[in-house]
Amino acid sequence: MNRSITHETSGRVLAALLCALLGSVVITAAQEDDRETIQPAQARQALTLIHARCAVCHTTDLIVQQRLPADRWTVTIEKMMHWGADLSKEEAAAVLKFVTARYHSGAPDQLPSIEEELAMIARAVGPRPGLEGPVTGEASRGAGLYAHNCQACHGEGAVGGAGPKLARNTILKNEGAFWETVLHGRGPMPAWGAVLSHQEIADIHAWLASR
Amino acid sequence: MKVSRRVLVKTLLQGVGAALVLRGRGGTASANPIEGEAARSSGPLTVRVSRPFDAETPVREFLSRLTSNERFFVRSHFGPPAAEAVRPESWRLTVKGLVKDELNLSLKELQQLDTVTLTAVLQCSGNGRAHHRPKVPGVQWERGAVGNAEWTGVRLRDVLQRAGVKPQGVHVQFQGADRPALATVPLFTRSIPLAKALHPDTLLAYEMNGRPLPLLHGAPLRVITPGWMAESCMKWLTEISVRTDETPGYYMQQAYRIPETAVRLSSGLPGSAMVPVEQMPVKSLIAAPAEGDTVRPGPVTVQGVAWAGEMEVAKVEVSCDDGKTWEQARLLGDGQPYAWRQWQYVWNARTVGPTAILCRATDAQGQEQPMTSPWNPGGFLWNGWDRLSVTVAA
Repeated sequence: MNRSITHETSGRVLAALLCALLGSVVITAAQEDDRETIQPAQARQALTLIHARCAVCHTTDLIVQQRLPADRWTVTIEKMMHWGADLSKEEAAAVLKFVTARYHSGAPDQLPSIEEELAMIARAVGPRPGLEGPVTGEASRGAGLYAHNCQACHGEGAVGGAGPKLARNTILKNEGAFWETVLHGRGPMPAWGAVLSHQEIADIHAWLASR
Repeated sequence: MKVSRRVLVKTLLQGVGAALVLRGRGGTASANPIEGEAARSSGPLTVRVSRPFDAETPVREFLSRLTSNERFFVRSHFGPPAAEAVRPESWRLTVKGLVKDELNLSLKELQQLDTVTLTAVLQCSGNGRAHHRPKVPGVQWERGAVGNAEWTGVRLRDVLQRAGVKPQGVHVQFQGADRPALATVPLFTRSIPLAKALHPDTLLAYEMNGRPLPLLHGAPLRVITPGWMAESCMKWLTEISVRTDETPGYYMQQAYRIPETAVRLSSGLPGSAMVPVEQMPVKSLIAAPAEGDTVRPGPVTVQGVAWAGEMEVAKVEVSCDDGKTWEQARLLGDGQPYAWRQWQYVWNARTVGPTAILCRATDAQGQEQPMTSPWNPGGFLWNGWDRLSVTVAA
C-alpha cells in the first residue's frame, strides 16, 4: 500500500518535472524559428491582445494556422481594425510585430496555440501583475470592462447574443462556477485568466450582479 | 544527420505522452502516429476553426457515394444564427427588389411548389487552400471541405416566376439570417447572375440526404447552385432581392474573386481582372489507402471520387509510382450531372518500399486536372492532382 502511494507520487512528480522542463524547451523551440527576437513581455502583450480582441469574432486557432509575409499580415490587421477590432495604433503595431515574427511564411507547420503560449509565459516569467488574492468587485468599474471584453458575445446589457444571457443568470450566485468559467473557459467561451486580472473579473461580476 | 531541436522536442513530447498513457492505463498503447496534423480531430470532423465552427471531412469518408449530414464539412463566416431566427414555424422568406409582386412565404407555403431532388457536390472555394505556394491567408483547408449529398427543395426559378422578375433584374441576391459578432463587420451577402438563378436545377433546399436541413447546414432553407462553388449556396436564407447589378460589398466584390487568367488560362486577359468564383473545376481525391499506410505486396484497391461541376467526368487516371506511369481507373455506377463519381483501380503492388499514389481526372470537355493549380491571392479553386505516400511492406 505504502509502496504504491510512493510510486504514484514519484510518478506525478516526475511527470510535473518533465512538463515544466518541456514547457521551457517548447518556448525556445518556437523562438528559434521566429523571424526576429520577441521579448517575453512583448510576446505577452501581443498574445493577450490577440486573445482578448481577435477572439471576439473568431477563435485564435485561425491566426496560428496562418503563415504569411509581413505585407499580407499588415493588410489583414488593417482589415480587421476596419471591421471593428478594438486595437489602438500602438496595440496593432505590437500584434503585427508578433505575428510577422512568429507566423511567417517559413515558420514550422506546428506551433503552440495562443492559449498554450500564454500559459508557458506565465510559467516561465510568473503571472501577470494584478493576479492577487481575494478582491472586492466594484460595479462602476465593471460596466466598462464588460462592454470592452464581454459584450460582443453576451450582448449589450448582458441580455445574451452568441453567448448566453448573463443578467440574472444563476451562475452569478455560484461564484465558484463563475470564476471557473471566466478563468478557464467553457465550451466555445475562451479562457480569460491570462487577459483579465482578478480585480477586473470581480468588477465585472459586481456589475453583472447589479443588473 | 542533423536532428533539429524541434524534432527532438516533438519526439520527447510524444514519448512522455505515451509513457503517461502507459502508466495510467497499465496496458500497451502506442503514440499517435499522425504527423503534420495541425488541427484537432473532433468526432467525425477535423476542426480548422472552433468559432465560427469550420471543420472538414476526413477523406476516408469519401469511400461512400453520399456524405452523411454528421460528417459533412461545415463552413460559415459567423456561425449559425440563434435558433429563434430560423425556427421553421416562424421563419419567413422575403422576395423583393425588381419583382412585380413582393413575396413573404412561410416554409409550408414554399413547400407547396414542385419538389425536386438531386445529388450534387458542395465544395468550399477554399478547399485545398493549404496546398497553394506561396501560402495565402484564410482557413487552411486541406482535402475535405467538400461532400456529395442529396438535396431536396423547390426550384428558385418557380419562386422567382411567382414574384415576376422585372426586365431590369439581372442579378439575384441572397441574404441569410447569420450575423457577425460586431455590427461593423460586413454581412455575408452574395448574388448570382439571373441565368444561374433561373436554371431548373438551382434549388432552395430544405432537406439534406432525406432529412430536414441541419442547423449547421443552413436550416431551414439554403440555396443549392449545382456545379458552382459553395459561397453561392447561401445558408439560413431569409431574403432574396432581384437587382440590376452584382451585390456590392466585401463578400461579393473583394472576397471570392480570382484573376480571370486563373479561370481561363488562355484568355490573354491581364492578370488584374478579377472575376467571381463560380464553376467547380474538375477534381478527384483518393479515399483509400490513407496517407502513410503500409500495404502488402499484391493487389491493392485504390479508390476515390471525381467530379467536374456541371460537366461529366470522362476519365480518372492513377499513378502508383509517383507520376512515372499512369493507368486508367474504372468509373463506377452511372455519370450524373453535379454528383461525384466513384472510381476504383486495382494496383498490383510489387516494388517494396515507399512510393506515392496520385490521381487526376479529366472532364467531358477534355479539361484535365493540373499537377498544381494556378496560384491566386485568395487561394481559391485548388484542383491539383491528389497525392498520398504509402509504403509497400517487404
